[in-house]
Amino acid sequence: MKLEPRAVPLQDAPPKRKVKTTQVVNGIETEVEIEVEDVPAGQWPPRASLRVLNHDIPRVDGPVKVSGAARYTHDVRVPGMVWARLLLSPLPRARVAALDLEAARAVPGVVHVLVVEREETGWLGQPVAVVAAETLEAAGDGLRALAARFEPLPWVVDHAAAVREGAPAVGRGANVGRPETDGDEARARAALSASATRVRATYTVPVQHHASLETHGVVVDYRGGEDAVVYCSTQYAQGFAAEAAKELGLKAGNVRGVVEHMGGGFGSKFGLDAQGLYACRIAKELKRPVHLMLDRRAEFLMSGNRSGTSMTIEAGCDAQGSLTGLVAEAWKHGGLGRGSLSGLPYCYKAGAHFRDVRSVRMHLDASRAMRAPGHPQASFGMESILDELAYAAGLDLVEIRRRNAAHPAWVRQLDRVAREIGWDQHPHRTQPGKPDREECIGIGFGISNWGSGGSSDCEAEVRIEKDGSVVVACAAQDLGTGTRMYMAAIAAEEFGLPVAAVTARLGDSRLPTGVASGGSVTTPSVAPAVKDACTRARGAFAAHLAQVLGRSAEGFRFGPDGVRHDGMTERLAWSKACGTLPAEGLSARGKWQESLQTRGVRCTQAAQVAVDPGTGRVRVLHMVCLQEVGLALNRLAVKSQIQGGMIQALGYALGEGRQLDSALGLQLNASFEEYKIPHALEIPRMTTLIDDDDTRNGVAGVGEPPAIPGASAIANAVHNACGARVRELPITPDKVLLALGKVV
Amino acid sequence: MKSFRFLNPASLDEAIALATAPDAGDARFLAGGQDLLTEMQEHLAEPDRVVNLKSVPGLDRIEAGGGRLRVGALATLVRLEREAAVRARWAALSEAAASVASPQIRSCATLGGNLCQRPRCAYYRIEEARCLKKGGTECFAYGGSNKYSAILGGGPSWIVHPSDLAPALVALDAEIVLRGAGGERRLPLEKFYVLPADGDVTKETVLAPGEVVTEVVVPEPPAGARSTYLKFRERESYDFALAAVAASLVLQDGVVRTARICLGGVAPVPWRAPQAEAALLGRRLDAALAKQAAAAALAGAAPLEQNAFKIPLTKTLVERALLALAR
Repeated sequence: MKLEPRAVPLQDAPPKRKVKTTQVVNGIETEVEIEVEDVPAGQWPPRASLRVLNHDIPRVDGPVKVSGAARYTHDVRVPGMVWARLLLSPLPRARVAALDLEAARAVPGVVHVLVVEREETGWLGQPVAVVAAETLEAAGDGLRALAARFEPLPWVVDHAAAVREGAPAVGRGANVGRPETDGDEARARAALSASATRVRATYTVPVQHHASLETHGVVVDYRGGEDAVVYCSTQYAQGFAAEAAKELGLKAGNVRGVVEHMGGGFGSKFGLDAQGLYACRIAKELKRPVHLMLDRRAEFLMSGNRSGTSMTIEAGCDAQGSLTGLVAEAWKHGGLGRGSLSGLPYCYKAGAHFRDVRSVRMHLDASRAMRAPGHPQASFGMESILDELAYAAGLDLVEIRRRNAAHPAWVRQLDRVAREIGWDQHPHRTQPGKPDREECIGIGFGISNWGSGGSSDCEAEVRIEKDGSVVVACAAQDLGTGTRMYMAAIAAEEFGLPVAAVTARLGDSRLPTGVASGGSVTTPSVAPAVKDACTRARGAFAAHLAQVLGRSAEGFRFGPDGVRHDGMTERLAWSKACGTLPAEGLSARGKWQESLQTRGVRCTQAAQVAVDPGTGRVRVLHMVCLQEVGLALNRLAVKSQIQGGMIQALGYALGEGRQLDSALGLQLNASFEEYKIPHALEIPRMTTLIDDDDTRNGVAGVGEPPAIPGASAIANAVHNACGARVRELPITPDKVLLALGKVV
Repeated sequence: MKSFRFLNPASLDEAIALATAPDAGDARFLAGGQDLLTEMQEHLAEPDRVVNLKSVPGLDRIEAGGGRLRVGALATLVRLEREAAVRARWAALSEAAASVASPQIRSCATLGGNLCQRPRCAYYRIEEARCLKKGGTECFAYGGSNKYSAILGGGPSWIVHPSDLAPALVALDAEIVLRGAGGERRLPLEKFYVLPADGDVTKETVLAPGEVVTEVVVPEPPAGARSTYLKFRERESYDFALAAVAASLVLQDGVVRTARICLGGVAPVPWRAPQAEAALLGRRLDAALAKQAAAAALAGAAPLEQNAFKIPLTKTLVERALLALAR
């Protein structure tokens, strides 16, 4: 019998229907209405029947990453490549007084000098010139040879200076943005006045950095002609390639964006960015590939940040602890950007609330999306004021949260988390402990949420080869969270194969449409598309086998024991079945489906700390996280990502924050020595729990929520331990000693 | 990094000759390179010559015997941390070595490099900030960010000396041996360091150009002596001291017979605390006496705007170090 090769096309223009969904653009959640195909809704198999998914699967790319074999953008070397480096404005605002281009060009090895700002710089770290050379060292020498001179112009890099009368203007418009308000102020204030207990305090969160271990950058492989490849450390390979094509003056389809592995992005790596733009310009000019990666200092100064916040909150509750009113006045510090702050009362309901939020602009790089933009700041304010209110009213810290949480999921999570952290045995449930011993133990809590679903544009392709191997492909990138792993695992589940039999291809703009990986959208975008592609491939394979074996297509089942048919007693080994395929195998494309994803995940955390009142040292002993995740594709990866978030939050709590010298216009901690992210010894015992009471059988993004409430929980735990209320992050020993009244 | 000549001498004399030759220009000795290379990358040091001491044999010995401990300038910190004799008899030294940076750095970094390292003050480390230490006219920390700055011995520069080994070795009464074109000199380690007010503010030591640290000699502690180094870091995994104390005591039936106390992370030099030592002598070491000695150690502290917290912090460390030795 002769077999016809067949690729299976998508159905012809299926009917459409409109659905409401949350989409994330550059990390910011937005409610939108989209059109989706009105096809029978795909479903994940019941959880109990899953063989591969919802289990712990060790990651496929673990060994190459641990051994250093994984190729990051930084590692890319192509023939004829030149190295480029940036000269940055050393001051927040300055006139570019001198640049010796001739001297730079005369440096041996220097092949190009590009001036990108000739007149005046407007933020600390703004690129001024780019030098490209045969070696990285020669490029560095070229930068020195420019002997740049900057004449300072008046700047503002702190809140007080920016809001002062007659302050130097930051760009066009006023330094203080228009108020964004929500709620009825008169009602909220009346509610506060009628409260049984009320408290008021100001909380401050500094600007924090993404601190990606791999800095931003690109290798543009363009050697003249019509085509180029851009190797990019990006959260959006397709978008990056499209922007690069425009800059290179090439057709979009002729520029391929590749990101094999990512060393962190956290919301800061969506676009081509300044360095990508310059690399393209130089490559186009020289017709040679350009390697341009930021050094660590540039990474701190010009790759975006999480905006800082200062917020004054007043909250009141009734005798039982129900929030009656809340008024918040907040300022966002996002440099040239508007910054971001989630709405207060965050995840709680307050009888009546009013908030007035304004941005204060400064001569610093614009804030960008960063893992749950605006949420950790809002959480710190809200969880802190809630604790202060509970103490003032003599209420249990868990009880006040249970009573006011805006969704019942948090109530059950609080109960479980309180149990795990040992709340019932803890002596300080309504009043903080005293600083009367070397190790004062305290416990704190926090809750969070994140809402996004997937992108309706996402597609995936599955190819079953004649030799039985399977390739699953999507342009989306793996930020290190395990995308590659679950793509393979979904196909393995669907075809009854071991995970190792499936190869996942991603991080390549030429593959089927992916998604910008921000706002936890990758998984709820990619997984449904892969699942749909697998479903279609199974259908096509069944149709093919029906023809070959003379059976009905409906009766075929694919499982670990091979291919079965309802009407046959014997089974067909997978490899035998695939052997009947034509030489080019079989492929199918799948599309995102609403029914395969879910949105809205809630998370609850607790932290137990030991505070040493003699030194101000805070040691986190134990963190507990319980989080909804919908259907977990790979439990190990989900837990790993949750732990990463908890550690990041621990950094916010105890070490991280941009430090500037306002007078000199310098960042004092633009390095990993002084910008103190947690290292191994800072990592506490972590109890990471997937909330299996969340039985929604759809895939959700899980990356944002765990990074939100940890810092709040730690801050509250510090106070609970010894009475030291530190209202400004990070909680460093000096602040603890000060709060304890030890500094005279 | 500016280009330089890299030289591999076979002997100490050759090394010194290479560093002091008329055409040497700015010559630097390279030991573990953990500080010098960073300084060169940041353009804080731009030597014409780098004279590699690792090519000189015999500079890395650790010898305990004959009533003393001799440690060559090129002995790595990881060896000081692990050497059994050092751990047993000069505990403060091995504890100090173990507290430095990260295991990766400790396996390269050397005794000599640790003693001669330059300040970590952020203003000093930022090339654009032309501070007093870099030949400028102002210590920016004084009126700027000074949380990490000195509370003792400050002015006109308020750096703190970053070495962990130095306070430990001062508490252990060590001598340092220097060799230059004019021959060898030995001095108490305490005299190796100079306060900013007392000498060239751009330097921290009396080391002359072309002079090299060859070894440190630590006397064998008397019977009953105990020592410890207690370091407080903002980040436990990897950090310089926010404050530290090295203490060496001889106790007889709980009574203090000799005491040497040296503070780290709080002054531009390893800061000996003679008033605290005097307060201890001849008295029974208990919690009250430790508290009194701690207060005496910090009596002269003059904090800047952001670093008064170092006073209670350092007092706690002194108290705890003393009580640990009394146990």
